Amino acid sequence: MAELKYAFYTGCSAKGVAPELYNSTYLVAEKLGMELIELEAATCCGAGAVQEKDEFLSLTINARNLALAEELGLDLLTICNTCTVMLRETKFKLDNDPELKKAVNEVLAEAGLEYKGTSEVTHFLWEVIDGVGLDKLKEMVVRPLKDFNIAPFYGCHIIRPVYLIGYEDPDNPKSIEMIIEALGGNPKDHEARLACCGFHSFWSAEDEVTLRLTAMDTEAAKEEKADFMVTPCPLCHTQLDAMQEEAEERIGTNIGMPILHLPQMIGLALGMNPEELGLQKHVISTENIINKITASV
Amino acid sequence: MEHFYLKVFRYDPTKDEQPYYKTYKLPVEKGMTVLAALFKVKETQDPSISFRYNCRAAICGSCSMKINGHGTLACKEQVTKLLEKYNTDTIVVEPIGNVKPLKDLIFDFDWLLEKFKQVKPWFIPKEPPPADGTEYRQDPYDHHKIDFASDCILCASCVSECNALKANKDYLSPFVLAKAYRFAADSRDGARRERLEAVLDHFNLEWCVRCWQCTTNCPKEVQPYESIIRLRIIAAEEGYKTPGERHAEIFEKDIKERGLLNEMLLPIRQEGVLGAVKRAPFGIKMFFKGKVNIADFFGGHKVKRHEEVEKIYEKAKEKEKEVKIRIPQILGVVYEDKRKTRKRANFLDKGGNE
Repeated sequence: MAELKYAFYTGCSAKGVAPELYNSTYLVAEKLGMELIELEAATCCGAGAVQEKDEFLSLTINARNLALAEELGLDLLTICNTCTVMLRETKFKLDNDPELKKAVNEVLAEAGLEYKGTSEVTHFLWEVIDGVGLDKLKEMVVRPLKDFNIAPFYGCHIIRPVYLIGYEDPDNPKSIEMIIEALGGNPKDHEARLACCGFHSFWSAEDEVTLRLTAMDTEAAKEEKADFMVTPCPLCHTQLDAMQEEAEERIGTNIGMPILHLPQMIGLALGMNPEELGLQKHVISTENIINKITASV
Repeated sequence: MEHFYLKVFRYDPTKDEQPYYKTYKLPVEKGMTVLAALFKVKETQDPSISFRYNCRAAICGSCSMKINGHGTLACKEQVTKLLEKYNTDTIVVEPIGNVKPLKDLIFDFDWLLEKFKQVKPWFIPKEPPPADGTEYRQDPYDHHKIDFASDCILCASCVSECNALKANKDYLSPFVLAKAYRFAADSRDGARRERLEAVLDHFNLEWCVRCWQCTTNCPKEVQPYESIIRLRIIAAEEGYKTPGERHAEIFEKDIKERGLLNEMLLPIRQEGVLGAVKRAPFGIKMFFKGKVNIADFFGGHKVKRHEEVEKIYEKAKEKEKEVKIRIPQILGVVYEDKRKTRKRANFLDKGGNE
C-alpha cells in the first residue's frame, strides 16, 4: 500500500469555529493510517472574497499555500470544500496559463518560494475512498452504524464546478453514501442532498436567502426521518448546525436536525468515544446519537 | 436493457387539481435523445402530452426541462447515457425547477422575461460607430472577458436548481445576471452604471450563494456563476459600496496581518457595533459549546513564516496592474470517471485563435 502521507491544510474554520473537526480529523486519520503534516505557515484561501477584491493577490497567496505542500513533496489535503475549490482553481489557472504562472512566480521569488505544480489538491473524503480504501475501512468498523439513517449533505464545492473538482458526477455523486455503507449505516436520499447551505451569501441576505436555505436543507433531512446529516465541509456544518435555531425561528417550526462532520461519523463507527470526537460541541444536540451509539455496544 | 421507463410530469390546470406522474414504457434505441423519447410517446402512446421544442440541436433553447432532477436540454441528453449515469431503468422528466408549471412540461417563461428586461439586455453603444464606416473594434483581451458569457440561448436550465432563487423568487436569476455582465463588461458599452443599478437595486449580487449550480447545468458553457462574481468586481470598481466589498476587505486584511481569517471578530468588523449586538447571542452560544478561540478576540496568532506573506502582498499589489488574468472557457462537457476526466476547460478562445 502506498504511504498515506499528506500536507495538511486546515483552513480557517477548523482552527476557528470548528475545533471539533480539527481534533476528530487527527484522531480518525491516525486510526486510518494517514499521516498529516500540518502546513502551519499556510494562510486563508480567500474563500472567494479576496478573489473578488484582488484576483492576482489571491492567486499568489494560494500559490504560496501550494508551494508549501510542494516543499514537503506531498499532496495537499483539505478538510473544507471551499478551500478545496479555491486551491484547485489556483492550481488550474496556473497550470494552464504559463504567463500567469511566470508572473506569480516572480512575486513568490520575493519570499524565496516557487510554485511548480507538483502537488495535487485533495480532500479527506476522497482520500478515505482512494487512499485508505473502502474495504479496509469496512474491516476496521467495530460499531456498525446500522441503527442510523444518515442524510448526506455534500456541500457545493466538493462536487461543483466539475472542471475544477471532477472527482465524481456532480449530478449524482455517491462518495458519501459509499462511506456510510462501508460503516454499516443507511444512507437516506433527500431533497437537499446536493443543495447549498447558504453560507456564502452575505449576512445582509440572511433573511432573504441564507436562513431559508438552511431551514429547507435541514427539513428535507427530517422529512426522510434521518437521525443526522453528515457533511465534509465545516462551512456547511457551521451554517446547518450553528444557524439552525435561527432558521427555525424565522420559519416558526422546530427542526432539531443534528449535523456531524465526516470524520466524526467515521470515528463513531471505528469505536471512538463521542466526547473525544467533539459531538458535545455542536449547537444542535447530538444526545440521541450518543445514547444510541453507546447502547449499541 | 431492452426497455426503459419515461416517467413524465403531467398537469393540465383546466382539469387536474394536482400534478401527477404518468409512466410510459419505451424500447431503448441507440442515440435516442430524451426529446426523441417524448416524441415517441406522443406519436405512439399518448398524444395529449405537451412540451416545448424547436431546433432539436441544442441551439434554440426551447426544450429545457428537468431530467432526473437537473435542468438541461431534452434534445442534448441521450437516453442510454442517462440510464447508465443514474444506474436506473427510469428517466424522470419534469418542468424545470423554480418556475410555475403551465401544462405538463411547459413552464411560465414570461415571468423570467420580465426579470430579463430589467437589465436592458441589448447593446447600448458608448460612442457612435467609427466615421470611416467600419465596425466597433475591441481589444482581444476585452473580448475574451465577455466571450464566455455571450452564448446564452435563454433556455433557463440554470434557473432550475438555482439555490438563491429557490430561497427567494425576487432573485433575478443566473442567466439574467450573466446577460447583465455580458453587456456591463463590454468595453464598447455605454450603459454600465444603469445595468449595475438595476442589479444592485435588488441586492441580487449578494444573494448568489456561490453554489456553481448554474454553471453546472448550463448546456452552452456560459458560466453564469463567473459572470455574477465578475459583476460584483465591476460594481466595486465603479465605486458602489456593497457588503461584499467590505467582506473582501476584511479577508484581505486578515491574510495580510495574520494569515488566517479571524471568524470571531468578523461580525463586528462587517456590521459594526449594531451587528455585534445582533450576533451576541450567537457568540455566547458558540462560547459555551467550546467553539471560541479566546485568543481571536485579541487579534489571534500569526501563521508561521508570516513575513513571506507580507513580502508577497506588497509585490503582488505592485504587479497586479500589468497581469492579464484569463478566464477559463469550458469547452465540451466531459465527465467520465473519478478524477481522470473533467469537463474540459482551457484558455483558448472558442475560435481557436490565440
